[in-house]
Amino acid sequence: MNIKRSLLRAGVAAIALAGLTGLCTSAKADTTTLVETGSSLLYPLFNLWVPDFTAANPGIQVSTTSTGSGAGIAQAIKGLVQIGASDAYVSNAMAAKHPEILSIPLAISAQEINYNLPGVKSLKLSGPILAGIFMGKITKWNDPEIAAANPGVALPAHTIIPIHRLDGSGDTFIFSQYLADSTPAWKSALGYSTAISWPAIPGEIGAKGNAGMLQAAAANPYSVTYIGISYAAKVAAAGLGTAALKDADGEYVLPTPANISAAADSVVTTTPPDERISMIFAAGPNAYPIVNYEYAVVSTNQPNGTVAGAIQNLLTWAITTGNDPKYLDKVHFLPLPAAIQILSKTQIAKIQ
Amino acid sequence: MKLKPFRLTLLSLSLLIPAALAAVILFLLFYAGQAFGFNGFGFVSRITWNLGDLYSDPVMTRGVLVPPGASYGILVFIFGTLLSSGIAILIAVPLSVGAAIFLSEAVPAKIRPVLSMLVELVAVVPSVVFGLWGIAVLVPFIGNIMGPAISHALGFIPFFAGGDSGGGYGLLAASVVLALMITPIIATTLLDALLQVPKENRESAFALGATHFEVVSKAMMPMVRTTLIGGIVLALGRALGETMAVLMVSGGGINILPSSLFSPISTIASFIVSQLDSAEGDPTNMAVRSLAEIALVLFIITLITNAGAKLLTTGLPHVRHNKH
Repeated sequence: MNIKRSLLRAGVAAIALAGLTGLCTSAKADTTTLVETGSSLLYPLFNLWVPDFTAANPGIQVSTTSTGSGAGIAQAIKGLVQIGASDAYVSNAMAAKHPEILSIPLAISAQEINYNLPGVKSLKLSGPILAGIFMGKITKWNDPEIAAANPGVALPAHTIIPIHRLDGSGDTFIFSQYLADSTPAWKSALGYSTAISWPAIPGEIGAKGNAGMLQAAAANPYSVTYIGISYAAKVAAAGLGTAALKDADGEYVLPTPANISAAADSVVTTTPPDERISMIFAAGPNAYPIVNYEYAVVSTNQPNGTVAGAIQNLLTWAITTGNDPKYLDKVHFLPLPAAIQILSKTQIAKIQ
Repeated sequence: MKLKPFRLTLLSLSLLIPAALAAVILFLLFYAGQAFGFNGFGFVSRITWNLGDLYSDPVMTRGVLVPPGASYGILVFIFGTLLSSGIAILIAVPLSVGAAIFLSEAVPAKIRPVLSMLVELVAVVPSVVFGLWGIAVLVPFIGNIMGPAISHALGFIPFFAGGDSGGGYGLLAASVVLALMITPIIATTLLDALLQVPKENRESAFALGATHFEVVSKAMMPMVRTTLIGGIVLALGRALGETMAVLMVSGGGINILPSSLFSPISTIASFIVSQLDSAEGDPTNMAVRSLAEIALVLFIITLITNAGAKLLTTGLPHVRHNKH
């Protein structure tokens, strides 16, 4: 008797629950929801894009989360999200294992090398100097190598405090790629990755996220660090200096829009159809050495045409309307060159 | 046989918890399986952690495909975890014992609930808030004032040297943040126990001519010793597993064993979080599997502390019994 009644109750509850969820899903049936996750550098830009995009495309909803480039790539491969945002392109091994995964550039970003040196207003650094600092071979600011690059600058005889990211980061990826491309010793010892097996250096600091890097650099005089260019305004407000970096042609260049464009233009003709290419340490006059594409990592195999269409819609919008300075200027990104835009569109057309 | 739906429901519900635990352990064991073979026992004794070159083609090493240069050693993180939690306990225990005794003995009964509620409030502050406070206040304070002062006074002992070179991120900052987080846990458990000490015991101690200090230290504290140990273990459990606050202030030292109070460290929990994103970029999955293996190690460490505490708490009354 008892069990009959409780079964009856459970049944009624289950039916009610099913009815409720049915109502909810049927109400949403005419909208397609896209999920984006990944790079914390692209996240602010997606949040600028999404309101305007969904206003123009009422049938599509986009949810954005900031998790990290590695998570963006991994979850796009697993099919958990439709769009993985990443500062780094998918590696050769991953691309071979998952040929359906595309790396589609959406915009161009860069990275600043920032320093906190009381009394020093301008500073020139090179890949080998930075590699020496982060490997613990250059420990004082008045090291002969730094002095040679900065004639006339009064460098303090103080220990350098290198600050690196301790979470996995696209910023670490492009920073270590600059060091690997410019310094053979770094390349053979540490290579490049979103997480480096940082050599132990007395006084070094590991900080979390770009915000943590900024905080640590501002609080520690005599420190040097790498911060994504979208933080440029905050970096300047904190009173940190931005170093001019030695490019592939041997010139010292600052991360100005013109110098970043010069780096992007230099790889336009060499960018392959799958667009997985490094812009780091690019050749060409005035090419700033730490510049990268910001990627959307997307699978060509989508569950149905509606979802695929929505993704194509969003990505095409992002590289055309979304590349307008009114969005990009806020995060200090640069638009894709016209030739790259065409390559990205060809890739977007493969999503089915 | 009569079915008992009430009993059956409760039984299945109560089985859910151990089942979930078993599922987690089984998953970790299964998932880390391949890593056991690759890492061997050196896993817990090596100090170098290197994900290898994730952007090169994987190479065959010891029978499995891994990124070139991959080497997983976690001794640094075991040290970081035990040291930071241990120092946190050293700081927190005197603080919380003092606070609990103050609240139970020196504060009028009317104000006590207000003050003890304040202490309990600290326990519910989310850990990320402690982390933010740590970055904004504690780390500069250690870097500029406390670190140089400690090294100046005690710098002749290597463990206290080096406070003037770093930026305040490191073992001490992590331990202080942890200590703050666990102090209310110990204090409130101890306070509850102190308030339950029978009035007769206190009053007879006073009647025998004991001073207030003697009443507390000789009549009351021995009665609550088991609770105190229980509270400490509870707190230790939280300290060992704390992730976000530690990650924010620990300096994230890898590849070197902490040599002083000011060395940058990583704890097991914070390291898993900091590496997971990059590990997911490993096409061979060995990095994530090794992280699962670290998680198992953390699990074993917490298990050992808890078992140790169980032994201590059940063992203590016997020890005292034998003395009499």
